[in-house]
Amino acid sequence: MTTLQSETGAHIGAPLRFVFAAALVLALGVAAYGLHAGGKAPLALSLLFGAAFGIVLQRARFCFFCNFRDWFDAGDPRGLLGIVVALAVGLIGYTLVFGSWLPDSSTGRLPPDAFIGPVGIALVAAGLVFGAGMAISGSCVSAHLYRLGEGSPTAPFALIGTAFGFVLGFLTWNGIYLSFVSDAPSIWLPQSLGYAGALLLALGALAVIAWIVVRLSRPQAEAARASDPWRAVFVERWPAWIGGAMVGVLGTMAYLRVGPLGVTAEIGGRARQAANALNVVPARLEGLDTLRGCITVVRDVLLTNNGVFIGALMVAAFAAALVAGQFRPAWPTGGQILRGLTGGVLLGWGAMTGLGCTVGTFLSGTMAGALSGWVYGAAIFAGTAATLVVGRRLGALPKP
Amino acid sequence: MSIKVALWAALAVAVGVAAATSAQAQSSAKPSPLVTGEWLEKNLSAPKVRVIEVSVEPGVFERGHIPGAQNIVWHTDLVDTVRRDIASRDKFEALSRKLGLEKDTTVVLYGDNNNWFAAWGAWIFKSYGFADVRLLDGGRKKWEADKRPFDTRVAAVEPSKITLPEANTKLRARLGDVSDVVNKKADAVVVDIRSPDEFSGKLFAPAGSQELAVRAGHVPGAVNVPWVRAVAEDGTIKSVDELKKLYAAAGIDGTKPIIVYCRIGERSSHTWFVLSQVLGYDVRNYDGSWTEYGNTVGLPVVNVAGTVWGGK
Repeated sequence: MTTLQSETGAHIGAPLRFVFAAALVLALGVAAYGLHAGGKAPLALSLLFGAAFGIVLQRARFCFFCNFRDWFDAGDPRGLLGIVVALAVGLIGYTLVFGSWLPDSSTGRLPPDAFIGPVGIALVAAGLVFGAGMAISGSCVSAHLYRLGEGSPTAPFALIGTAFGFVLGFLTWNGIYLSFVSDAPSIWLPQSLGYAGALLLALGALAVIAWIVVRLSRPQAEAARASDPWRAVFVERWPAWIGGAMVGVLGTMAYLRVGPLGVTAEIGGRARQAANALNVVPARLEGLDTLRGCITVVRDVLLTNNGVFIGALMVAAFAAALVAGQFRPAWPTGGQILRGLTGGVLLGWGAMTGLGCTVGTFLSGTMAGALSGWVYGAAIFAGTAATLVVGRRLGALPKP
Repeated sequence: MSIKVALWAALAVAVGVAAATSAQAQSSAKPSPLVTGEWLEKNLSAPKVRVIEVSVEPGVFERGHIPGAQNIVWHTDLVDTVRRDIASRDKFEALSRKLGLEKDTTVVLYGDNNNWFAAWGAWIFKSYGFADVRLLDGGRKKWEADKRPFDTRVAAVEPSKITLPEANTKLRARLGDVSDVVNKKADAVVVDIRSPDEFSGKLFAPAGSQELAVRAGHVPGAVNVPWVRAVAEDGTIKSVDELKKLYAAAGIDGTKPIIVYCRIGERSSHTWFVLSQVLGYDVRNYDGSWTEYGNTVGLPVVNVAGTVWGGK
């Protein structure tokens, strides 16, 4: 028994962990029920979607940076293939919804709320910087949120850094908007290719990416899977492709009922609220009301859809980590604080300028058939790869 | 007293009763401009009824609308997107054809946000000559609160070949009309339906509004009756008696022509609907509203609060 305890790193006894996790899940359920009964169905749904997203992220370790690094460093393709599955499932789901909401894709209208952002230099720069932030802080924003639930020593500093990065983004936004964003086209692929054409092209591109990822991977020692269903579901990491499929389904359901998945609107909104109160950012951010994405609006209410979404994400990830014995709080080292803060600032600036993070602009945008999703994704992973190579050569980032 | 006389008397009474009942039938046949959810649910498949949603929040219509309803996007369909103006006749005609509307269609509008934009839509429909334009009382919110069904399917509608007249200018006030009233060249009651703080000049505009005037206050001589006072707790419009009392207290009784305005002309459409369609008064909507009047050089303004633009 002691060996199992030290193996899972749990500091508290198993029964207590389970009771606490069950209480957290119950509290989320009660909160959702209360919100729904109070006539706030979108908030209740956002809470449930957030909780489900948190559990899937934690259980499948659906982390854009770790999945990329596993392949980049160790030649393990499974995580990246999980992302490919998420995009493929989401693309099909979004196309089904679009067909009902906007039967003719060529009218010039865009489907409501879908994250179809402007494609230009600003988007590429934002992706590169966001990718660098991932490499330095060790995660993207969504993964830092679920890692917070695992007791990560870096995550709190990365998220604080992200808020500061957003403020930097507000300060540079007006100039960037006028020079590089206002004329950049928002390209929605189904508009010119039709739904079937856009879907086939996207699935084809994903197949090519999957083929390249597999070709450039190395054979992996197949870890023995637990035959015990309890361990398979609650303790061991879910296969990445199952996590990916769930993210794709969740993305579609969230879009159908509330809005596209995204995790930075609330962080940015609160950062803007604070920065406005301190009078350090322009009160007017040009053109934001005309653009699609995780748009930062000044918050003047206590609860927002995105706020309860990321709140529930963190709580549910914490509960999942508790059950799995993966809640391992640790005191941060100086290096972790420094890397969390600097990486976080880059994440925040990138997410503000790119109008979203890996979840909003990349995942939800690509699912929606937006060219901006593809461009942003490519820039992010290029930025991550370049930063890993240069950072390691300079000795600033740990070697694999 | 002969049988003849008695017969004549009976006939006279019968004719009188018949005339009275038919008059009554006629007056009750004049449809109310407001429909209840119950009526609408029963008439959803009536061939002459078309339901149209005008909501301001994007995605609201797509995630669930009244079965069979069609969507109008306020920002692009009902206005000229380049020049500040209502949609041109050609543009609105094309939209009406696409929506399958005929001259005798009963157009029932509804939307989010207390029907503000649906009321704006009703004003445009009326301006382009549609005779039977109604609002769903209480809008989306009441329909939802009453647990009536929503649908996400697209309504299949045969386009029509309707031709529309030029917009009826009698429903719309322009800047010149308002300044004529201010300069006593014309007689009308000007009703400012904004909040008391905007009326007094304490606020330039409600929080979060992008479109502003660089002067605070109101049109000289205007009376302030915030639009929300015409609305009951559940979002429905108050009864005719209550409305008459409310507006009469502010000196609006329908004896003089009325001009309503707000900040950009959408909340005032709500009051325009109440006063003109429900109470039957002669009302023009001044859609230029405070963002036009308050920005115009040289026009008199009453600014009780004395708020100064950019001044400390």
